[in-house]
Amino acid sequence: MNTHTAIAETEPVAAKSAREEMIARIAPGREERVFLVLSIFIGVVSGLLVVSFRMAIEWLSVLLLGSSPNPHQPRLLYIPAAAGLVIAVLTRYVFPNVRGSGINQTKAALYISNGYISFRTVIGKFLLSALAIGSGHSLGPEDPSLQIGAGVASLISRRFGMSKEKLRIFAPIGAAAGLAAAFNAPISAILFVIEEVIGQWSAAVLGSIVLSAVASVVVARSFWGAQPMFRIPVIDLRDSRELLAYAALGIVGGFASLLFASCLSYLRPKLRTQPQWSQLLQPAAAGLLVGAIGFFGLTQVMGAGYEAIDQAMHAQFAWKMLLLLALFKIVATTLSFSSGTPGGMFAPTLFIGAMLGGAVGTFEKIYFPHLTGSIGSYALVGMGVLFAAFLRAPLTSVFMVLEVSGNYSIVLPVILANTIAYLISRVLQPIPILEQFTHQDGLDLPSMEELREESNLHLEDAMQPVTVPILQGSETIADTLRSLAQYEDPKSIPLFLIHCPDGLWYSAKREELEALSRDQPATQTDDLGVPTPAAATLAEHLGPERTPVIFPDLPLSSALPHFQRWPVLPVTNRAMRGSLEGTVTLQDVLNRYQKH
Amino acid sequence: MTLQTEEYSGLKRRLILRDSLTFLSLLLVTVVLFLITFFLFRSFVTHRQELALRWSARGQSAINSGHPEQAIVALRTALSYAPGQRSYELLLAQALGEAGHTEESYNYFLGLWETQPGDGLINLSLARLAAKKNDVQAAINYYRASIYGTWEGDGIVRRRDVRLELSQFLIAHHDLSSARTELLVAGGNAPDDVPLALTLANLLEQANAPHDALTYYQKVLALEPKNGTALESAARLEYASGHFDEAHRLMQEAMHEREASSSNQETITSSDKDILDNSARILDLAPLKKLPNNERVSRILDARTLAKKRFDACSAQVSTASGLSNPLQNLATKWTSKDATSNRGALLNDPTQQDATMQLVFDTETQTSKLCGAPTGDDALLLQLAKFPHAMEP
Repeated sequence: MNTHTAIAETEPVAAKSAREEMIARIAPGREERVFLVLSIFIGVVSGLLVVSFRMAIEWLSVLLLGSSPNPHQPRLLYIPAAAGLVIAVLTRYVFPNVRGSGINQTKAALYISNGYISFRTVIGKFLLSALAIGSGHSLGPEDPSLQIGAGVASLISRRFGMSKEKLRIFAPIGAAAGLAAAFNAPISAILFVIEEVIGQWSAAVLGSIVLSAVASVVVARSFWGAQPMFRIPVIDLRDSRELLAYAALGIVGGFASLLFASCLSYLRPKLRTQPQWSQLLQPAAAGLLVGAIGFFGLTQVMGAGYEAIDQAMHAQFAWKMLLLLALFKIVATTLSFSSGTPGGMFAPTLFIGAMLGGAVGTFEKIYFPHLTGSIGSYALVGMGVLFAAFLRAPLTSVFMVLEVSGNYSIVLPVILANTIAYLISRVLQPIPILEQFTHQDGLDLPSMEELREESNLHLEDAMQPVTVPILQGSETIADTLRSLAQYEDPKSIPLFLIHCPDGLWYSAKREELEALSRDQPATQTDDLGVPTPAAATLAEHLGPERTPVIFPDLPLSSALPHFQRWPVLPVTNRAMRGSLEGTVTLQDVLNRYQKH
Repeated sequence: MTLQTEEYSGLKRRLILRDSLTFLSLLLVTVVLFLITFFLFRSFVTHRQELALRWSARGQSAINSGHPEQAIVALRTALSYAPGQRSYELLLAQALGEAGHTEESYNYFLGLWETQPGDGLINLSLARLAAKKNDVQAAINYYRASIYGTWEGDGIVRRRDVRLELSQFLIAHHDLSSARTELLVAGGNAPDDVPLALTLANLLEQANAPHDALTYYQKVLALEPKNGTALESAARLEYASGHFDEAHRLMQEAMHEREASSSNQETITSSDKDILDNSARILDLAPLKKLPNNERVSRILDARTLAKKRFDACSAQVSTASGLSNPLQNLATKWTSKDATSNRGALLNDPTQQDATMQLVFDTETQTSKLCGAPTGDDALLLQLAKFPHAMEP
């Protein structure tokens, strides 16, 4: 239970439903309008906070590690350790909800706490993540930015007395804004939030997510400039045979992500089951070990590591050094993250990917010099590869590389390598790492991968051939009775479909038809007393009501609301009005769901 | 009903007012947050610029004081505070090269080259690094790209310097004809400048283009007639091309200049002295057509006597070892001919016979040098004269 509260925050209960109802009555369109305007405000404020967050990280880095951290400086050992101790104490006693990266916390807010993220969590995430990354812990600022954005959204939206439904979806809006500002890449941020936080495309929030992401990127760019996060090298794919080299990178990336995920999924729960007092020391111990890696030569693995990514993209390391950096980054990030130090996984993932990509590129340049792709392009593709395989966000990974590089010619290598890495990761590690974290935290959040891949059932999956008798609505009751007489035992037929002259259908129970025939006068007479035939047709007797028009491609669930009124539903063809494809009953639908 | 409508309107007004106030306060908070971020950011940027400047200055001074490893660390730090700053990147690439990280430096320059493939300095650096890596063709390509690339400042001078460097590289790799072409192009666009002309002449000499080199030494002498280096070098070239009179004159002047110049502490080299002495002696021996007939015939007779002695000695040496060879037998036949026996009177009256006798002398010196080793003394000088029999004739 304790672990549960560590990630999912509980919203202060307030009886608002009566007030919400009253507001909805007096200003029906208000919530939609406020929702859109607030999305822009959320984007702007998130952008400002993320800019401040990045500044705080860099300032703290200079302040704590010096302006030029280099191997063999003793402060590399004790600063991350001391910062770890401070972080552990503050996490325990002041900001209990700031552990972890921030993605799962945002998802928990969305699915469990009606979008609620407390102000204290936002402040804690800002301060402690900045301190952790600035002091050299191997973590990144993107995921905390995402949670900060979601927190801002939660804070702002609560001031406007929005409905619970709206409050809930503000979290992903803020998350997109925070991530977009941190990444300087709005499309990737939007896609990531859809892929990893919401799990599916939803027209209701897409517009607001786009608005907030764009607003936050505009704010971030007004400070940092429009240039991408890394200096992008020249990218060119002249010979399609080179795709084989990128495929090799995809394989390497797939296995590297597996190693990274395995390390995390092993160490994190192990450390979390240690006694409470030792958990207070874990961030310090992790800081000491990460600092030792820096102290003995690999300072690049400390902090987010953007500079090293940039250097790898510009071929400034030998391939053995690149492999070493990738390996030690996996170790350092596993230690930092598993110890409960707040900070993100994005930057380390990109770092490992860039190093592996650079290593593969340099290796191929040396041993296959005819390949024309620059080492930088391999590093760039490598970033996408790890992103796809480790975070299991294949669509975001492709767009991220395209957006960061601003070069469409890299699309083929990216798609190929990312897909290979993603498939390897899926086969060898069925549960995505973010989902494993939620399970370790004792939560049961929906699996985004499953949501994305859920095959929706359609009416055609439950549809049965027409076996019920079909009557013509244009016939009179007498004719209908004569038609029924041709069946051996009409009393045993429970349902009928009546084809009305307007092309629509009416499904009737036997009892309904019997009642109609009972109410039918034997003969009718006109005003002069001359008998006239009962001219009213069956359709006229049934009145204007018709069974709803449904088609085979509609979702199976769309039929459910109609079974209360109609015992059987005719499924018609979209091209030919009234043409019957089959029928469905409630039992058919339930049978199909049970089979699924 | 009226009461309900009024209450409804009141509620709506209150709701609008509340939303407006909330939005206003949100706007105010946003503006305040923006201002705080703006001022913090400005201070942050200034601080980073200061750090970048400080570290780049350290890097520059480390390069200047010959500590490239320290420069690398400093410049990497500077670049972390000013990413993409071209001047720092170039310095870093240079420091990497100077620290012996040839491959890394090469890659760094390649990275810079990808963004500016037409940059003269980057191409030059790549050419030097390729030369270091012994990648001759790549070096030549980068040198050429550098020559035709863009340069900041005095592009003409930089391009010419690169061309001279390329020609030196070509000479070192024995591509003398390409080197000569580059030097002639460089010289063709060069102004009248003594040090440059001396450099060009020197390189042309190395490129096995003595005639072109001499042209540049002469150009120097036209500008500075007392230029010792040009005088000596021109004398050497004239001597080598058989213009012993010019060689003697130039070397004599060079010696005079050297003696006259108190600042010039260089001692006269033995080769210069030899050139002076040998050219003087050759001028004494050479039966030039401009000499009076009597004098010319006397010199021809002296030369014939010398050559005959040389032939006899060589014949004796060779016949003792293995019998007379074919060329010596031919020479022996010639020495029994009229050319070898004509007396002074016959020679005085027959200029054709004079030339034929001298030809016998030259043939004898040439053949004996091949069969009996290099001659010494006047024989050696006659052999030298034999190489350019008409060089001193008008």
